[in-house]
Amino acid sequence: MIINHPLLGPRDSEEFVYLGSTDLIDRPTNWEEDASSEDFYQYQYIRDNIAGNHRELWYHEQGDQSWLVVTRNTITHEITNVELAQDVSRAMGRGK
Amino acid sequence: MSDYILEKESALEGAEHEFNGVNVSEVTDKSLVMVAIPRGTLADVESAIKKSCGLSIPKMEQSTESSDSSITLWRLQNSQVLAYFSYDGDDSESYLKSKFNASAYFTDQSDTWAMIRVNGPKSREVLERICPINIDPEVFPVGSVSRTVMEHIGTIIFRDGDDSYVLLTMRSFGRSMLHAIEVSVKNVL
Repeated sequence: MIINHPLLGPRDSEEFVYLGSTDLIDRPTNWEEDASSEDFYQYQYIRDNIAGNHRELWYHEQGDQSWLVVTRNTITHEITNVELAQDVSRAMGRGK
Repeated sequence: MSDYILEKESALEGAEHEFNGVNVSEVTDKSLVMVAIPRGTLADVESAIKKSCGLSIPKMEQSTESSDSSITLWRLQNSQVLAYFSYDGDDSESYLKSKFNASAYFTDQSDTWAMIRVNGPKSREVLERICPINIDPEVFPVGSVSRTVMEHIGTIIFRDGDDSYVLLTMRSFGRSMLHAIEVSVKNVL
């Protein structure tokens, strides 16, 4: 499987480590509120088991150590989009 | 005060092997210093080192050379460059800091890497067997630099001449890398 790194071009998936769904970026920020335990339960344990396009986090461990958001079809393994997780996270209003 | 005097040793004790059409040798006269660029200051850092050394910051996976060609900059990440340069003193960090005269963060990495040069007309054939990225001369022209994995070892590869490549691995992997190259040489020749 080839992942087309936005900065470095096509790289073998052997250079990467897989983490999981991009939802992991969206960690609840309401930890001081009562409602937070339910939100953290959802964040920590509840996963969609998607058959189709899945946005997921990959880490370029044997490369530039960047985190990527890869859109991969879980049935065909076709990769349709690769973004820097940094950009995705900023677009979500997180981080600096 | 102790009476001990510590002397520096290169990672591979200056290993040097000649084969028919390819030479494998340790690079012992180069230093490597990481220059981390604070966010939003790339243009400032670039104009400072352009002024002091005539160096511009290279594009991703490319390199630039100073006007006296003693310093080469590599770009492998957005927010930092690696300076690869000839120096045989004991404090390459301060040396580069004063040469560059730029507001960036300098970290000496010279002794944490084993540097191996593979050169000669058969060098590409030898490296093709272990390097997963495309090193075709047109795709990977002289001056290209990249970080990848060879024989499960994280490696930086830099093309410093037509038939010459420098491989950098973590110092502790130096011997394994040397072995991997030698096996590849035997397979090719």
